[in-house]
Amino acid sequence: MLSFRQAMSSVIVAAPSKERHKEASRVSLFSYKKNSRLILRISAALAFISGTTFVLYRLVPVNATTAGFLFLVSILIVATKGGLVESTVASVAAMLCFNFFFLPPVGTLTIADPQNWIALFAFLATSLTASQLSVHAKRRAREAEDRRGEVERLYALSRALLLTDSAQPIAKQIVHQIALTCEFPAVALYVRGTGEVYRAGPEDLDIEPKLRESAMRSVVVEDERTSLIVTPIRLGGEPIGSLAFSGGRFSDAALQSLLNLVAIGLERASSQNAVTRAEVARQSEELKSTLLDVIAHEFKTPLTSIKAVTSDLLARPRRQLQLEPELISIVDESADRLSKLVTDAIQLARIEGGTFRLNLGTHFPSSLVNGALRQMKSLMEDRKIEVLAPDDLPPVRVDSELIQVVLTHLLDNALKYSPPANPITIGARLSEDKVIVYLADKGQGIGEDEQGQIFEKFYRGKNERHLKGTGMGLAIAREILRAHGEDISLSSSPGNGSEFSFGLPVAAGGMPQ
Amino acid sequence: MSAGRVLVIDDDPQIRRVMRSTLTSHGYQINDARSGEEGLQELRNSTYDLVLLDMNMPGMGGMEACRMIRSSSEVAIIMLTVNNSERQMVDALDAGADDYITKPFSTPELLARIRATLRRLPQLPGQSDLQPLAAQGVNIELSSREVTVNGRTSRLTAREFGLLTYFLARPNKTIAHRELLQAVWGPDYGSELEYLRVFVNRLRKKIEPDPSKPLFLVTDAWAGYRFHLPQ
Repeated sequence: MLSFRQAMSSVIVAAPSKERHKEASRVSLFSYKKNSRLILRISAALAFISGTTFVLYRLVPVNATTAGFLFLVSILIVATKGGLVESTVASVAAMLCFNFFFLPPVGTLTIADPQNWIALFAFLATSLTASQLSVHAKRRAREAEDRRGEVERLYALSRALLLTDSAQPIAKQIVHQIALTCEFPAVALYVRGTGEVYRAGPEDLDIEPKLRESAMRSVVVEDERTSLIVTPIRLGGEPIGSLAFSGGRFSDAALQSLLNLVAIGLERASSQNAVTRAEVARQSEELKSTLLDVIAHEFKTPLTSIKAVTSDLLARPRRQLQLEPELISIVDESADRLSKLVTDAIQLARIEGGTFRLNLGTHFPSSLVNGALRQMKSLMEDRKIEVLAPDDLPPVRVDSELIQVVLTHLLDNALKYSPPANPITIGARLSEDKVIVYLADKGQGIGEDEQGQIFEKFYRGKNERHLKGTGMGLAIAREILRAHGEDISLSSSPGNGSEFSFGLPVAAGGMPQ
Repeated sequence: MSAGRVLVIDDDPQIRRVMRSTLTSHGYQINDARSGEEGLQELRNSTYDLVLLDMNMPGMGGMEACRMIRSSSEVAIIMLTVNNSERQMVDALDAGADDYITKPFSTPELLARIRATLRRLPQLPGQSDLQPLAAQGVNIELSSREVTVNGRTSRLTAREFGLLTYFLARPNKTIAHRELLQAVWGPDYGSELEYLRVFVNRLRKKIEPDPSKPLFLVTDAWAGYRFHLPQ
């Protein structure tokens, strides 16, 4: 089986020829630097051996055996500090020095006693083996250290991926976490499902075509020049995206684990999305059917009254027909109720459909309030209404007809939901660059659990369904205010009544100096 | 003389007003309640012949109210609803309602249903001669409308009783759906197969030792039902 790296190198991205020329010079520069560092290290090793020879020969004269052992120690020191080349060169140099300075005849490279030949070769073999072993051990230690670092980073990454925040795209968080934990200068992630590319890291990677190619053809693209690797992310054999990063050193196994982590993270994201979508669809279905139920109920109730009365009258023998004031008034009220339902429904549909246009004009808050009160006059009868809208408030820029619709709906609500003996307050006051209009009643108040729902279409107070109403008033009021760039707010608590308020923008030049 | 005492349970004040006006003018004595809870209270305080029960009400809701009423009383119940799906119709009948009417309805239709529900069951031929049935651990006492199955006693509602006596007068004979509906519900009925299905199931629950494997009330597929009386 091909190793991962082999597989990677099977597809090498060919660089253009100009680029290749530059590349060649860059490579030679690189190898020159590398060579000069090696020469420096070899010189240092040779200097160390010379130093040892000088000390042993001149400063602390020792016999040949002691000198041999101390040379071996020096070679071991060189091997642990440096690489294989330096330690081999040091071994040969030490062998020559040992022969020249310590093995008789001293001062020559010849050896008189044949036994010393054996000692010399034993010395050389020992020093070479020791340096090999030492270098090998050092390399293993470094590799183990690298693996440990990789495992730590993968662990950190898997933890981070588990703790992703569902408010942001998960792919974006994945790529950010990879850049952070693996310390890659540039990372890019292509998600096939959405076709999006996410990037992270201090450097920018502009390799979208390569990412797509890698994901489409499920091949690894490697560019040694920029140490860029583009690799597909597979899940169950199927490529679901691709990952590109540059400047990182990762072993095959670690890279494979990293890709698996990313694949799992992306899969988790897509299944979460699917669940969310299904949930949204279910809720919308539920809402639709609830709305239909409510509409059916709201419209069929007055229709039932009308039908019951008319069918009853029609079934009576002609001569027995007489004016039945009670029955006629029921039909009349039902017709009013249907008419209001239709008006409200059309108003709401127009506002929600966005087919209406604001007819903005400059109006005084007091005239808006008084206009609404006039419209509601017939319904207010003996109710005590306190009006606190000073005439000196600055004019506001609004659609007066629509704002009066808001006020009449709020007034209608207050009249319905508060006992007839309790007063209703409607007023306006200046607050910074807005006029705040408020309407307060001394009704039962609205519990916190209901406060969010009352602006929903067709919602009617928990204990108030016996009251006449379409359940659309507050929804209409809110939509109208939103069209003005404002919103409606409610402050209420059970037992203390409710106060609805909203701001209206002061007309330009309307602010008192 | 009053045609009957009717309790209207509906959360909508206008419907209550309409019912009061139209039914009173046809000779019924009307009282009303705004919710299931209030209706149950009212039923405990006075006796009624019939309850007109709205299905869609805040609080306990019509379906639950129907079950509660049925658990303690055999008063006739007609449910009012805006939804004419068969599912809901069957649910209402299952909950113990005798009949069901969809809003908006015409007053003559409502009156016909009320009359049919309240109608004294016709003296069936030979009913007086019917003997108490006692077979296979089942004992049906016709005079008190009580059924005892393996020591467990339950009472039949008027409609269930009417259906059962019609069967008992014609043992071992297949009776067509239409014939059953017209005889037990009235001449205006005939195609309401779901009524029969629900009431036959209700009867089976009361008289059969194992309602899922009926011994007495047998279905003759496509034809009707047959009361199998062991010879």
